[in-house]
Amino acid sequence: MARNNKSLNRRDVLKAAGVSTVGIAGLAGCSGGGGEQGGGDGGTGSGEGSGGDGGGGGGSEDYPALGNFPIDGNTATYGFNVPQSGPYASEGQDELRAYQLAVKHLNEGGGWVDSQFDDLSGDGVLGYQIDYVDGDTATDADTARQSASRMIQRDGAIMVSGGSSSAVAIAVQGLCQNENVLFMACLTHSNDTTGKDCARYGFREMFNAYMTGQALAPVVKEAYGEGLKFYQLYADYSWGQTQQASMKKFMTEVAGWEQVKSVATPLGTSDYQSYLSEAANSGADVLILNHYGLDGANSVQQAIDAGIDSDMEILVPLYNRPMAEAAGGAIEGIYGTVAWDSQIDNEPSKQFTQAFRDEYDRTPSGPAQLAYAQTLQYSAAAERAGTFYPPEVIKQLEGYEYSNIGMGSETMRACDHQAQRDVPVVQGLSASEQSQGQYFKIVNITSRDELGYACDEGPAAECELGPAK
Amino acid sequence: MSDPNTTSDGGTVVADESLVSRWERIREREATVVGLTAIAVALFPWLFARAPVVSDVLLGYQSLATLILIWGIFAVGFDLLLGYTGLLSFGHAAFWGGAAYAAGVVANNVSADPIVMVVSGTLFAVLLAWLLGFLSLRRGGIYFSILTLAFAQMLYYMSAAPLAFLTGGENGLTGITVTPLFGLFHLESDLPTFAGELLGTWLYLFVGVFAVLAVAAAYRILNSPYGMVFRAIRENEQRAEFVGLNVWRYKLMAFIISGAFAGVAGSLFTIHGSYVPLQSLYWTESGEIVIMSVLGGTASLFGPIIGAGLYLYVENIVSGVQQLTVPFTDIVLVNDFGTYWHLLLGLVFVVVIWVAPRGIWGAISDVREFVWDRVGGDRR
Repeated sequence: MARNNKSLNRRDVLKAAGVSTVGIAGLAGCSGGGGEQGGGDGGTGSGEGSGGDGGGGGGSEDYPALGNFPIDGNTATYGFNVPQSGPYASEGQDELRAYQLAVKHLNEGGGWVDSQFDDLSGDGVLGYQIDYVDGDTATDADTARQSASRMIQRDGAIMVSGGSSSAVAIAVQGLCQNENVLFMACLTHSNDTTGKDCARYGFREMFNAYMTGQALAPVVKEAYGEGLKFYQLYADYSWGQTQQASMKKFMTEVAGWEQVKSVATPLGTSDYQSYLSEAANSGADVLILNHYGLDGANSVQQAIDAGIDSDMEILVPLYNRPMAEAAGGAIEGIYGTVAWDSQIDNEPSKQFTQAFRDEYDRTPSGPAQLAYAQTLQYSAAAERAGTFYPPEVIKQLEGYEYSNIGMGSETMRACDHQAQRDVPVVQGLSASEQSQGQYFKIVNITSRDELGYACDEGPAAECELGPAK
Repeated sequence: MSDPNTTSDGGTVVADESLVSRWERIREREATVVGLTAIAVALFPWLFARAPVVSDVLLGYQSLATLILIWGIFAVGFDLLLGYTGLLSFGHAAFWGGAAYAAGVVANNVSADPIVMVVSGTLFAVLLAWLLGFLSLRRGGIYFSILTLAFAQMLYYMSAAPLAFLTGGENGLTGITVTPLFGLFHLESDLPTFAGELLGTWLYLFVGVFAVLAVAAAYRILNSPYGMVFRAIRENEQRAEFVGLNVWRYKLMAFIISGAFAGVAGSLFTIHGSYVPLQSLYWTESGEIVIMSVLGGTASLFGPIIGAGLYLYVENIVSGVQQLTVPFTDIVLVNDFGTYWHLLLGLVFVVVIWVAPRGIWGAISDVREFVWDRVGGDRR
């Protein structure tokens, strides 16, 4: 949009003229985008070094204006839209740390930029310094959309990343499709994100509920045997529904189990006692808890407190670190899947864990790895395309084969923009073993060859990507 | 946002009696009010998103300017009920969200023409308001508020699960592609030449026309005998009854008119976002519109619009401020300032209600009258 470019131009001129900070209501001002850590200072877009012809790298002569392309000035802005309040806030904080680390590495080198991504050089992307703005999704689709639209319209973000809730990811992805800005999804596990709500401008590295079912079924069949009966509780919204449907499908087809009942619980329930006692009296052998975030921590904890684990085996299809932290020793021996874990034994995983520890003195979570990987993945695609022009970047991402983010060989499938990748199956550790940020033991990394679905089946059958411009 | 008074207050020619009284005469005329509203609506996005210096201080952007107008329409309608008829509905999310879903469902299944969407959304809201008003107005006071809240929450749960096939459930209603206006103008594209710099997009123009019409309609209603009855009911329901007015019928009509405004706004919200979040039916939306109206000043035409603007400003701009600094320096006062926006909004609300019980518009009016007395206007 030409209008945006005009306003950004003017803004840069103003900044260069010394009006570099702006006030709110004349009382106080703010500087957008400055990192919290000192290292990020290089990226604050105050128009330093404006003498160079930074625009040359963008190839703006070759492509028409589209979305926020071409970029004015010599700073490209990424928008990081994460939950900073609400039930997924602690996960959002960890994502934001990883995003900040990615921006630092893109500008100054370090981490995967030096070791895994040959396309990146550590001096920005395409000659542009990388800056970022962040926003709070509050785990609410409407708030997330407003926040993303501010990043795109006012701050001129060329790429938006974020997630932590499928409803949020789907809403923001739709907005990005309309605005012609790329959306690199972080944590979103619903089948719909790359199923019926998929978008040409959205790319998902995370696996989905369908693949979780496929990855878990053989492992639990091996561990608990065949011919069991299972009982499900699920959070009553799109993710919970697709999750329980996938579990039913694969536990029945692959493990040969039989479903007794599947019961919906309202999202945000804090007391699961009545649901749990009904499950305990159902005569089932296995209890599957399709809850995530705080809900997951609550339901697992209460199931253990009620002594259900002595009569039944419990499964939690999707784990994450904050959830494990909250549930503590209650997750001992419980199977589930995670996005990624720092114990995965390969070079990229170790390097990322180390870089993250060096910066923040803590172990990164699975969503943090997704956030870091997605930011670099986009930047590398822009380098390969030689431009930020969105349709060219999309071409570079579609069908791209890679093995540099610690999850083995992967393909970003062109038909639905769903990464075809391995899925780590884990088992919770006991309270005494949960030290130094280790909550799970990796049981199996289910290979991508045993997972997934063709472009014309499963969730992908409903996907229509839409136009690139 | 137009303030028909302050625009000239600042520049009042002191002691020029004729000018003051001449202004006094035309000030309350419908043409003046509507004209000034139109001018304010036309200048607002430019000032907010593109004007030099001003927009850099405000940190505004086009899409938020449009959103403020949409909520402004909603707030004007809500104030007809709360401020003028004295009925506190706590379920207006039902009309806002209901119209948004109706417009979205029509767009996905019948026609995605923006005018068709607005008409169908509004129609749905009117019918719903008639039904819910018929049921809720059986009781007054707090019971009325609770009934409206209950009905709105029912709709929320209906669209969350049982009607998810239609509404998209928790994911919201996706896949809406609004067709060009009159088959010619893409709403997202910029207006040509000068209008583009001033108003921005076709969408803003589209919403702006509705906003001006909304103000005109509300003004017309309030200054008609019908509006007088609304105020009579607010002042003393029993007395109005004894005069021979069918109070219940007037209350129902006020409720339906208010629902119609919410319906227009809700449909425009769908067009604006090409998406309907489930949240749009949640009780917090009902709460937001109450806060906006009270913040801006109930029982005034422009107060609620200002309230809506301030609320959305804090929600969308202040929440995105990462570091609060001393103006024009790099001295950081508060890091992660934006995360405290809920707190800030609470403080603003408390301070406004404390200092100016009649809201922001009430405070402006008081200042205006004070200045007027000084200047020597011979009114009241």
